[in-house]
Amino acid sequence: MSGIVRMVEHDFTNFFRYKWWLVGLISMNLADLFVSALVYNTILRKSVFQAIGSYFNFFAPGLAVTGLFASAFMIGREINMERRREVHHYMLSLPMTRFELAIGRVLSGGLRGMMYMSPLLLTCFIFVGFPNVWQLLMILAVLFLLAVGISGLSISIAVSTSSLEKFITARGAVYYLLFFCSTVFYPLVVIEKAGPVITTLAEINPLSGASDMIRSFLLPQFFSFSYLSIVYISTFSAIFILTAAFAYMKILERQ
Amino acid sequence: MNKTLYVIERDIRLFFQYKFLIIMRAIWFVSQVLLFGVIAANMVSVSSYFQYYVAGLSVMALYSTAIFIGFDIYEEAEHGVFEYLLSLPVSRRDLVVGRSIGGGLRAFIYVGPLVAISLFVIGAISPLNFAIALLALFLFSFGISGMSIAIAVLIKSSDRFDIFMGVLDAFIVRLSTTMYPLAIIQQTNPVYGGAASFNPLSYASDLFRWGTGLEKIIYVQNPLLPLLGIVVFFGLFTFLGITIYERMIEGGGWR
Repeated sequence: MSGIVRMVEHDFTNFFRYKWWLVGLISMNLADLFVSALVYNTILRKSVFQAIGSYFNFFAPGLAVTGLFASAFMIGREINMERRREVHHYMLSLPMTRFELAIGRVLSGGLRGMMYMSPLLLTCFIFVGFPNVWQLLMILAVLFLLAVGISGLSISIAVSTSSLEKFITARGAVYYLLFFCSTVFYPLVVIEKAGPVITTLAEINPLSGASDMIRSFLLPQFFSFSYLSIVYISTFSAIFILTAAFAYMKILERQ
Repeated sequence: MNKTLYVIERDIRLFFQYKFLIIMRAIWFVSQVLLFGVIAANMVSVSSYFQYYVAGLSVMALYSTAIFIGFDIYEEAEHGVFEYLLSLPVSRRDLVVGRSIGGGLRAFIYVGPLVAISLFVIGAISPLNFAIALLALFLFSFGISGMSIAIAVLIKSSDRFDIFMGVLDAFIVRLSTTMYPLAIIQQTNPVYGGAASFNPLSYASDLFRWGTGLEKIIYVQNPLLPLLGIVVFFGLFTFLGITIYERMIEGGGWR
């Protein structure tokens, strides 16, 4: 257990070295919210407007999830770099079990995602509205679960790709497929027009689940809470935590 | 001139060695067209938005591919290839001019098939207009390549460059007419409209749409204005890229 705590501490210390990364990510996210979302708000169809109220309010919770994804994914970039610079030999020599090492890294990736996402979530609350205490706790718990799953996904990709370019490109592909087939950018009523396959993907997508859960608390007149989304997020996280832990332990030892 | 051609040829060959990256970029383009483009068109009230967006996407793809020359410069510096390049019987000027042209040309070669797909999807009808627009896109591509080289040698850190280009991408793309018409941006916020009016991506997107000859997606009244904007952008950044690169490569100044 202390090994996990030490790994989390190590990764958190590293996280604050990436000040430029954080500034860059926040700028990109804010550009999405205060430029694109505002412009799309102007050109929204009437039927969509009636379904979501305002695109800015609709997108703000999605933006928090976008930020969570980007920052939780950063752990993968570090692990990929460690692998290329062979720092993983040092990591494997530390006095802790492989399991503690792997779980510590997955958890720290998730916690870092939560830390980065907090100002974006606060921005969302300030502009859209505040949830009650229970709803806030629920939001934080579910987002943490999602962040750990994303961290696991990122680590799984990082240990399977041999160069930074491949990792960055794979990250892009995963990002676009997960986000475009979700309700982060557009509501389900709009996605339904694109066909049943995309609609099903959007419904089971954990990013949709997290965004819609926040919306159901902040915009109850337009969105309703569904327990199914929690099931989808839990399943996604369980799969990728296990995959990451297994891949990190086995693949790094093999090299 | 002959030596410049060797440098151009080398940069083009180098780019097509990144097979994994090329495939992933194509996935990015296709997912943007088939997912975001199709779904977002059902969300907004702009007529023929899908065609409008696909045309803008081609310019975005050209932009993101042309900036890739900056990452090559870091790769070469990291692996000691830079010293090798400087030792070749090629003058500094040939090397610098060749890199700038090569960076733009390879982006154009890569995006060519994607542009052809775009034209097929949106049903372009005016070959003459398109030939003029194509020339403008050539200049735009060289200008972006020069800009990327200038920024890369000034920043001197691949991580900072990556983030800087990400932030620049976030604002330069969102505050342009690649995703939405200028009148809508101006209606949303006059400051955004002002920024979009002086954006090389807006010039390239507007000219590309004009080049398709499809009335329903043409918003520019006089194509000479964006053409002039692109010529100025090309002249300025090609000159800056060449001048800065030429000065920085002597005496290890690029390190």
